[in-house]
Amino acid sequence: MQVRGKVARKFGDDINTDYIIPAYLLQESWDKQFFADHAFEYYDPTFKSACRASKESVVVAANNFGCGSSREQAVYAIKYNNVVAVVAQSFPDIFYRNCLNNGLLPIQVADTSSIQEGDELLLDLQIRNLRNLSRDIEYPIEASDAAIEQMKRGGFLGYVRERLRQKLMEAPS
Amino acid sequence: MGSTITEKIVSRALGRKVVAGEVVTALPVDKLYFNEVIGPPAILNFQKDFADVFEQSGKKMKVFDPSRVAFMPDHTVPSCSIMVSSGIKLMGDFAKQQGLMMYKEGDGIEHTIASEDGFVLPGEIAVATDSHTCTQGALGALAFGIGTTEGENLLATGELYSFTVPESVRFNVKGALQRGVYPKDLVLHVLGRMGEGGCSKRVAEYTGPTIDSMAMDGRFTICNLSVEMSARTAIINPDETTMEYVTAAVQGRSGSLSPDEKAAIARSDPDAVYSQTVDIDASAVEPTVSLPHSPANAKPVSQVSDPINMVFLGSCANARRSDLEVAAKILKGRKVHRDVNLIVIPASRKVYNWAMANGILNTIAESGANIESSNCGPCFGKHMGILAPGDRCLSTSNRNYKGRMGSPEAFIYLGSPAVAAATALEGRIADPRPYLGE
Ligand code: SF4
Repeated sequence: MQVRGKVARKFGDDINTDYIIPAYLLQESWDKQFFADHAFEYYDPTFKSACRASKESVVVAANNFGCGSSREQAVYAIKYNNVVAVVAQSFPDIFYRNCLNNGLLPIQVADTSSIQEGDELLLDLQIRNLRNLSRDIEYPIEASDAAIEQMKRGGFLGYVRERLRQKLMEAPS
Repeated sequence: MGSTITEKIVSRALGRKVVAGEVVTALPVDKLYFNEVIGPPAILNFQKDFADVFEQSGKKMKVFDPSRVAFMPDHTVPSCSIMVSSGIKLMGDFAKQQGLMMYKEGDGIEHTIASEDGFVLPGEIAVATDSHTCTQGALGALAFGIGTTEGENLLATGELYSFTVPESVRFNVKGALQRGVYPKDLVLHVLGRMGEGGCSKRVAEYTGPTIDSMAMDGRFTICNLSVEMSARTAIINPDETTMEYVTAAVQGRSGSLSPDEKAAIARSDPDAVYSQTVDIDASAVEPTVSLPHSPANAKPVSQVSDPINMVFLGSCANARRSDLEVAAKILKGRKVHRDVNLIVIPASRKVYNWAMANGILNTIAESGANIESSNCGPCFGKHMGILAPGDRCLSTSNRNYKGRMGSPEAFIYLGSPAVAAATALEGRIADPRPYLGE
């Protein structure tokens, strides 16, 4: 599976989910697009327009992207602004899992310092490689087999439905 | 080779021995709780994504086990908007229909009541839709936050998928805390040493004589803040102190622990394997504050005297009995500085009522504080004390990110309840020790 995208925004270390979507909004809608419309509202007001400028955008960061609160709305806020992948040097678990569950690709590579805004990236999950087409640099993707599998499937839902079906069949009626 | 408490808890759940690093296909959880921020969308998604599976199986739509699920509306209650009220109503209706526990607004902050009520027990795997679920680690439970989708999946099957058994970092804490220094100071100090990403993907396991002699309130505080160094969760091996607390907690519920619940209790082996050991000398820790805008930006109070115009004593980090007690001791017979808005929110109804019966709320109110009913309050940045641009707040909560409590142009400092009380009196970050007597 290959995914292509343009780097719309590059961040440093420790971008927390409060920055991605402020708390006061979380309870005000059950619609995922609502959170995209308020993405980075305080922290980076031009994030939205930068990501929306391209049909397939990529967000790049250094270490610990998505730390702090478990709010999954942070993933909606990024994804529904045309973002296909977040490339960073590390992700805390909760955010990483929330990405996998929503088909936003969390791509971990050793060093993102050579990637700049505007670069064209090509992701190949099959060979676990990220290619910076603008600079002709390659970065191996670090991920478990299970994570790669979920990235390809766009989440777990099909699997969970199957588990539930099995459990209901086994349960006494 | 021995096992960590984390490995043991996962091993019991699976009925086979696991070691850190292993990826578990399906991990059954013991307890699951939701706040009113994520509960409503998780219920709606559960109904949308699984209705047809139940129907095709000829079964009624049912959560995996109603006795293992609880709803705790706590973030902005009493409700502060129509949408919040609608969400709480949706949770209440669903809870009734499914026969599961729904707490009332004002019963308390989820992480405080989950342990206080004996809902989560030592040795269990507990998950909730909030990152501070790690607070339950103080009981010796393996507890961590999840997102909305995992919440919805868990409602259906009670399982967490593709779970990596985490490695552990052992924090070996020695030395007595000095007078006027509290577990909050200790953990802010630890965050300062480790940085915001310092414990990423790993469990922070606290051991050593300082932890052994620490009361439960302090253990909850330490586990609570460990997620600020991105720990997968935090955990403390259960001991007599834990069991005394748990015994009292379950009295109101079932009376006592069942043999199964007792058998679940685990402790790390002496030869367990850790990815890292960090030695901490607690006796060298001073009263500590974290400066804007990072919980890891820790400094001794003696080096800071910035002006402050709001003080918040509350949150799941620090608003338990001993926290209110020490604040009352400092505030007694004194008046809050005229420039300071002091907001005090006991972490649960039980704490609130206890503090009222003991005259503690009286003392705090007489000093000039605003006392609100139990909920997250300003920590969540949505009601009960929103910061304006330029405001400077000292909070006993756990996050001082830019914009966390209102305006992104406000400044948030984190500190202990004692620092909060002293700061409220002086209108600037203050050392509590002069108020504590000998
Ligand atoms: S008190 Fe603050 S940190 Fe704790 S659950 Fe509430 S909002 Fe989260």
